Amino acid sequence: MLEVRDLTIRYGKHVALQDASLSVSKGTMVAILGANGAGKSSLLGAIGGRVRPSGGEILYGAQNLLELKPHELVEKGIALVPEGRGIFPGLTVSENLSLGANPVHARAKSDAGREQVFTLFPKLAERRTQIAGTMSGGEQQMVAIGRALMSAPEMLLLDEPSLGLAPIVVQEVFSALRRIRQTGLTILIVEQNARATLDLADHAYLLEAGRISGSGPAETLRNDPAVVRAFLGGAVTAQT
Amino acid sequence: MLLTTLILGLVLGATYALLALGLTLQYGICRIMNLAYGELTLVAAFLLVVLFKSFGLPPLVALLLICPAGYAAGWCLYTVMMRPLVQRSGARGRLEVDSILATFGLLFLIQGGLLVVFGANFTSISYLDQGVSVLGVPVALNRLVALVICVVAGGALVAALNLTRWGLTIRAVAQSPGSAPLVGIDVNRVARQGFALGTSLAATGGASLAMYQTFSATDGVVFTMKALVIVIMGGVGNVAGALVAGVALGLVETVVATAIDPGLTLAATFAIFLAVLLWRPNGLFGRRS
Ligand SMILES: Nc1ncnc2c1ncn2[C@@H]1O[C@H](COP(=O)(O)OP(=O)(O)OP(=O)(O)O)[C@@H](O)[C@H]1O
Ligand SMILES: [Mg+2]
Repeated sequence: MLEVRDLTIRYGKHVALQDASLSVSKGTMVAILGANGAGKSSLLGAIGGRVRPSGGEILYGAQNLLELKPHELVEKGIALVPEGRGIFPGLTVSENLSLGANPVHARAKSDAGREQVFTLFPKLAERRTQIAGTMSGGEQQMVAIGRALMSAPEMLLLDEPSLGLAPIVVQEVFSALRRIRQTGLTILIVEQNARATLDLADHAYLLEAGRISGSGPAETLRNDPAVVRAFLGGAVTAQT
Repeated sequence: MLLTTLILGLVLGATYALLALGLTLQYGICRIMNLAYGELTLVAAFLLVVLFKSFGLPPLVALLLICPAGYAAGWCLYTVMMRPLVQRSGARGRLEVDSILATFGLLFLIQGGLLVVFGANFTSISYLDQGVSVLGVPVALNRLVALVICVVAGGALVAALNLTRWGLTIRAVAQSPGSAPLVGIDVNRVARQGFALGTSLAATGGASLAMYQTFSATDGVVFTMKALVIVIMGGVGNVAGALVAGVALGLVETVVATAIDPGLTLAATFAIFLAVLLWRPNGLFGRRS
């Protein structure tokens, strides 16, 4: 469904991503794991149309995504929840969700979408009229994910949805992701919370200093000693 | 006497509010501070006079032409002049400075053109200048017509901004242009629409002003300054604030002109402006759209 080939991203002289290739098949959840500054957001940003790569290609079905303008991606069924969430802080929760349903194909489904979002995050239903910028970090993340779902996407791109959230809220977000995944939505997620992500994903890529250093089924990676050392910390031994 | 002042102030204030609304929209949506705004207002005012005097078109019919013509002119202006500035502005501050300089130049271009065509003399039309009685006070009919135009145009716009999906899109771009593409909004298109709409409001305000006021080819700067004062008083980008501040300024000017001296209106405007800048730099109602 999504095919990234030899993607290179430069900021001036700095190479943030070098010849990265990955693929995501329909209905699966794929994770990108990596340390700070590894190039995860750059990679996801390029797929989501926010970053211009200097080389490589990104194919979505038969469509070359690099030919599209950033705002056209949502119409193609790709919704991005960027780092920092990108919600409209001055508008209400309800208005944020309405804007999510902006693509033509999503407008007809906006009532069902709203229903789905409120079932997923009951808190948002209570806070419909609250100005989004006045909500807690976790609630804002829910607004961001909810808004993305309102666009009736085929593929969801998530950049560190658990960043800066308290452990209990992280759990809440991940349990929502689990339920979103059950609807059959294709998901590409960037995370530093490797354990929870590998528990959920089908497949993962490891990103180190701008290069893809490994990949495999989540199952395998979870038990790979090198991965355990680099991403999961010693605590995993207690589990296995 | 007091009632007359109030009613006349209200009419003037409504025109000011409409003018300020256009300027605040252009800044709020496009981040363009349009210093040629008053000149665009004047062009519309002259156009109304020409259409009336030379072609015999009733001012209300002329207005129906001027309003969309203003939109089209704004659309072209944005495409030809502003778009290149927008395209090369990386950081946000750059566009603000560039647009101020560019529209400052445009101001003199339009003013020069108007001076050549119409000269520096005052112009006015006599249209519906018979008095009608409002609450026992005689008011010229043309002022009432202008009032209705401003209230209808301003009210429709405010309603559209707050109640429709189109308005929601505009507000989203005004607040977070960086996030708008995430929900499929083409920021460029919305910015062009916003600029065109602002110009259309400038034109509508100018045309309604021409129905009751005398003006000359050099008055543009005064319109821009007043609109700017109102926008800052109301809180930059704050639509409701601009409306209230516009009406307030109209009232104050009329009170000063009738109670003290007509020559002091501009001084009064800037006295208020200074007070606001000193004590409420974010405007009377804060900065929000
Ligand atoms: N706009 C930019 N201009 C210059 N350099 C950038 C820019 N964005 C990212 N970089 C650099 O590119 C590298 C990769 O950044 P990126 O944000 O993709 O990393 P990341 O893996 O998402 O990190 P984090 O986990 O901290 O979010 C970093 O060294 C960063 O400093
Ligand atoms: Mg990142």
